[in-house]
This record gives sequence, C-alpha cells and structure tokens, in this order.
Amino acid sequence: MSTSSARWRLERRLDVSAARSVGTRTAGVVVAVLGALAVFQLTGRSAPDIAGESIKGTFGNWSNFQETLIILTPILICAVAVALGFRIRVWNIGVEGQFLMGGWAATGVGLKVGGPQWLQLLLMALAGMAAGALWVLVPALLKAYFDVNEVITTLLLTFVAQQILVWFSTDIWKDRVAAVTNASERVNAKLPGFFGSTTLNWGFLVPVVLVIVMFVVFRSSRWGYEVEMTGGNPRAAEFAGIPVKRRIVGVMMLSGAVAGLGGMIQLTGAVHRLSVSFSNQYGFFGFIVAALAGASALALLLVGLFIAFLLRSGIAAQTRGLSVALMFAVCGMILLIVGVAEIATRYRLSRAAPEPMAPVPQEAKMSNTHFASAQEPA
Amino acid sequence: MNIVFSATRTAIDSGAVIVLAGSAELLMERTGMLNLGLEGFVAIGAVSAVIAASSTSSVWLCLLAAMAGGALMGSIYAMATVVCRANQVLCGLALVLFGTGMANHLGAGFSGKPMSARFVAWEVPGLSKLGGFGKALFVHDPLVFAAYTVVPLLVSFLLYRTRHGLNLRAVGENPAAADAMGVNVMGMRFLYALIGGAIAGAGGAALSMSFTPGWAPGLVAGSGWIALAVVIFAAWRPGWLVLGALLFGLMRALSFIGQEQGWSLPAPVLNFLPYVVTLLLIAAPAVFKRFRRATTPPAALATPYFREQR
Repeated sequence: MSTSSARWRLERRLDVSAARSVGTRTAGVVVAVLGALAVFQLTGRSAPDIAGESIKGTFGNWSNFQETLIILTPILICAVAVALGFRIRVWNIGVEGQFLMGGWAATGVGLKVGGPQWLQLLLMALAGMAAGALWVLVPALLKAYFDVNEVITTLLLTFVAQQILVWFSTDIWKDRVAAVTNASERVNAKLPGFFGSTTLNWGFLVPVVLVIVMFVVFRSSRWGYEVEMTGGNPRAAEFAGIPVKRRIVGVMMLSGAVAGLGGMIQLTGAVHRLSVSFSNQYGFFGFIVAALAGASALALLLVGLFIAFLLRSGIAAQTRGLSVALMFAVCGMILLIVGVAEIATRYRLSRAAPEPMAPVPQEAKMSNTHFASAQEPA
Repeated sequence: MNIVFSATRTAIDSGAVIVLAGSAELLMERTGMLNLGLEGFVAIGAVSAVIAASSTSSVWLCLLAAMAGGALMGSIYAMATVVCRANQVLCGLALVLFGTGMANHLGAGFSGKPMSARFVAWEVPGLSKLGGFGKALFVHDPLVFAAYTVVPLLVSFLLYRTRHGLNLRAVGENPAAADAMGVNVMGMRFLYALIGGAIAGAGGAALSMSFTPGWAPGLVAGSGWIALAVVIFAAWRPGWLVLGALLFGLMRALSFIGQEQGWSLPAPVLNFLPYVVTLLLIAAPAVFKRFRRATTPPAALATPYFREQR
C-alpha cells in the first residue's frame, strides 16, 4: 500500500445509520433538481416560473392533483413489483413488459367475456396477474436453476411485450369504427370513480394497499423471512433448509403478477383502450422509485409521489419549455447522483495515518440498501 | 434471388449500429465495466450527429460530434462508477433514462426533417460488379464498412496482440494483480469508458446518418440493448460479435422485407423475433451443456476496484 502519494483514502463504515442513508438520498435528489433548475435558468428560461408552474400543475388544485394521482398509480404498483424482487436480490427490470402483458390480458377478457361489471373486473384482474406472472416465468426459471442474469432476460421480454401490444392494438383488436388511431376497441368495464370523480377512481388505493400488505408480510411472516434470508445470503439460506430456487421463482412470479395487476388497473382506471402508448415507461419509473426508496414503505410512497410530480410537471409546464422527455433525463440524473451518494454513505474519506482496516465482508452487508450487489451477466 | 440480395444488404446495414455499440460494450466489459447504459449512449450519439448537421454539412464533423457526445456519456459513467465506485447496474440504467430522455428532448425540433449530412454508398472497385451478390456485400457507406472491418479488427488486434491489450484484459479479470504489476486500473477503466463511449456514439451516427437519416422519436428502438445481448452471445470475443450483429441485422431485414412483400406473418412478430432469438442464445449455453463454449465473463465485471481492500 502506498503511503506517500495516497494520503486520502476511502474507508468503509461498518454501519450506516438509517438517518444518514435517508439524508444522502434526499441530498442527492435536491442536488439533481437544483442542477436541472440551474440549467433552465442558464439557458434563458425562468427557473422560479418553471418551478411555480410545475407545483401549480401538480398540487395546485384538486383536479390537477387527481391527474398526478392517476400517474402515480401505475408507477407505484410497478415500484412495489420491483421492490419485491429487491427483497430476494433480484433485479426485475422487465416490470414494464409484465405491466403491458397484464394490460393486454385484461383487455382480452374485457372485450371477449361478458357478464356483470364486478365479475368482469375480477376476471380481468386475475387475467392481468396471470399474464404478468407468466411473462416473467422463463427469466425466473433461468435465474433460479441456470444462474442466467435476470436483468437482460426480463428486459428482452419487455421488447417482445411492446411488439405484442403494437400487434393487437393496431391489427387484431383494432377499433375500426371510432376515430382513434392505433388503439383497440373500448373496454367498457371500468373502476368506480372516487366519490363520484370522473378522473380519479378507487384504483389509486391499490398500490397503497399493496405497499402495506408487502411490509406486513416481510415483517411478520415466515415466507417473508425466508425470502429476505435468501436475498441476504443464498448459501446460508440453502444450509438452513430454505428452498432457495423455489423462493426465487415464487418471488419473481409474484413480482410479475403485481405488475400485471398494474396493467389491469391502468386499463380500467385510466386509458380504457389498449394502445401503442398504453404505458409511458411506467415500469422503468417504478424501478427508479424502488431503487431510490430502499426498504422503507413510507419512502416508497413519498418517492413515488415525487416522481409522479416530475412527470406531471413535464406535461403541466410544457408551455415553459419542459417536456416529458426532459423529465426522463432529470430522473436519470437523480438516479445517477443517488447511486453515487449511496456509496458516499458507506465509505468515508479519511486522512488518518494508515491503520489496520476493518475486515471487509465478501458479501456486502445489506442492512438498508438493496442495490449494492455486483451482478455478472449470464 | 432478389429478395436474398436485398435482405443481405439490409441485414448488413442495420447490423452496423450493433457491431459498433457492441464493440464499445465489449471493450468496456473487458476492463470490468458493465455498461447497461448503452442505449442512452447510442441515442446521444445519434442526436449529436443530427444537431451538428444543422450547422455543418461535413459528414466527418457530424461523426466526430456523435463520438464526442458518446464520449461525454462515457465520462459521466466513469466519473460515477470508476472514480466514485457507484453501482454499475444502477448507473447504467440511470444513463439509459438520461440519454434517451435528453436525446428525445434535444431531437424534438429536428424530428422528421431531412438530414443534411449523410453517408453515401461507396462501391468497392471491382468486387461491387459481381452481380446482385456484389451489390449486396460491397456497396455500403464508409461507416458500415468501417463497422464490419476496421473496428472489430482493431479491437481484436488490441486485445490479443498488444501488451496494452493484455493489461486491459488483466484489469477486467484481476484488477488487484494488474495494479500490483503497475497497471493504472482506474486510468485504464476511465480511458476505455471514453473510447467505448465514442465508439457507441459512432453507432448512433450509423443510425441517424446512414441507416435511417435524420432524427425520429424511437430511432434507437432498443439497438443498444440488442448490442448488449450480442456481446454476451459473442462470449466477449470480437469475431463472434460481428456474426451476432449480422444475425440480428438479418432478423430486422426480414421484418422490413416482410412488410414490403406483404407476408402473412405480421410485422410485429418479425420485429420481436430478434429479441426471442437473443433470449434463446443467452439461455441455450446455460441450459444445455452441449452448447457451452468458454462463455465466462471477465471475472471482475461490474465490481468496483478499491486498492485499499486488496
């Protein structure tokens, strides 16, 4: 070890307090947002105006806030799906594809199966969940039994799902009567409005319920404990008699089912037709939310609301020069900065004289972070 | 016969972006960096060329702009993952969002406008006269030729025939040993993040200056992700990379030709076939022992290097 040149060194903290972790993540978000605003200001637009317009357009009044909640719903459901995978250290990047297939299956049931509205909705939800779960089955089996990296396999299937959506909404189920382009016929079954609202429906409570159920399960069930143990150290879990492979497949399919349910909620609550623009990359934003939120339920809700705010701003402040694409870029920056901040919490710069280092565990300690695993493809 | 020739031609043209982006990824992964952000790199490269074309009509300056845009993305990636040692998977995904979002935002004003600087087809003297076959193989623009010949050959030579390449591979396999040998691990990774970024940016130029000139939303359409998959299919070897890219180009070509000829197979099915094939290619060696080649990734892939923790 060189002692002359490298005086400053990174030293691993043995423990990262929850407060420090929340603090750095928040700081990362604030830095990214301030950076974006600074860029607006420097490029000749008024940053305060943009910020004001964004806040007014998202939280300003009840009707704007309803729009924000409409965007929040699918993102948050997808975030729950991703967060489930994180529990067992699986990166389900294909949530977007499972979300689309859920919407696809729900549309199929909605168009072809008659019956009372409640029964239709129930069947659509089941179909959506089944489609989402099946869409992740192959990557799950490959991951559990053949150690094939799930990041790329789930992602590839997302592109397949997108093409299936194009196929069905522009050809097989295409609405040839109404004046809509590239969309299926209208699905009549829809979720009841929230206290008579025409925009908002009860669907926005689904992710909230899912978040609560998930955290209860992981706090107090044997299954949840086994899953977390498998995520923390698969070999130890195997020695403890936990069916590791079955747990991986189970969690991934559950994750897919949640995402598929999201597609059904999006269909019956917001868009009512299958179309090429069915999802605005909600699956990927769900991933960001889950990655930023870490393991806390409250953080999942708050970060979800924040991302929905950013996306809604892209629409609401369009006249000021914002765009949804630009908000994608801002989200990417936030994710990057928080990724760096994450490291900052686990290490510290020290200038002390070289001392014996604390032993570094080969398997990083995962007390409050779920994305520190190093992944190798295939 | 004409269909075969035009399919080959389109396959070669549409595979160029995959060879370039794949070579970039291959170099980066060989130094231990898993760059999932490739899609964003390609998008930024493509839009940089389009923006440059609004003030110059020189194709080479536009190509340079694309490479600079890609290298800029590479430097962001390296700052985060090499210098700060942030998680590579997370940062890669962040750069996909950043790159595609930024490219769509910047490109919105150019969408659908004709591209002033585009590569024109170039005929290999003599060989291009060999009937339909010659036309399919030997009439392409310079960027496509470079993608299939110069780039993979250079990468292959660099990796296997130079001391620098040996050091490069050592950094990807065992950075601690390389460090002990006096190789600058962080410097090597930073350098190849820049070089890889530039090559991926050139891949973007292969889209916006050659294959489908101009900017359109959804121009990149997963090319970066496919390149990532092809690198795995190629088992991190430049020769196989070219083969894999051609295979993908062929699937894409079939979907174009299917649309033209009105085949009963719907276009979306042809469009998703390449993804299904990649999935099979990734799965097959893992599932069936018979297909197992030496498909081990660089040992230090996706792991940040801390000298203090050696």
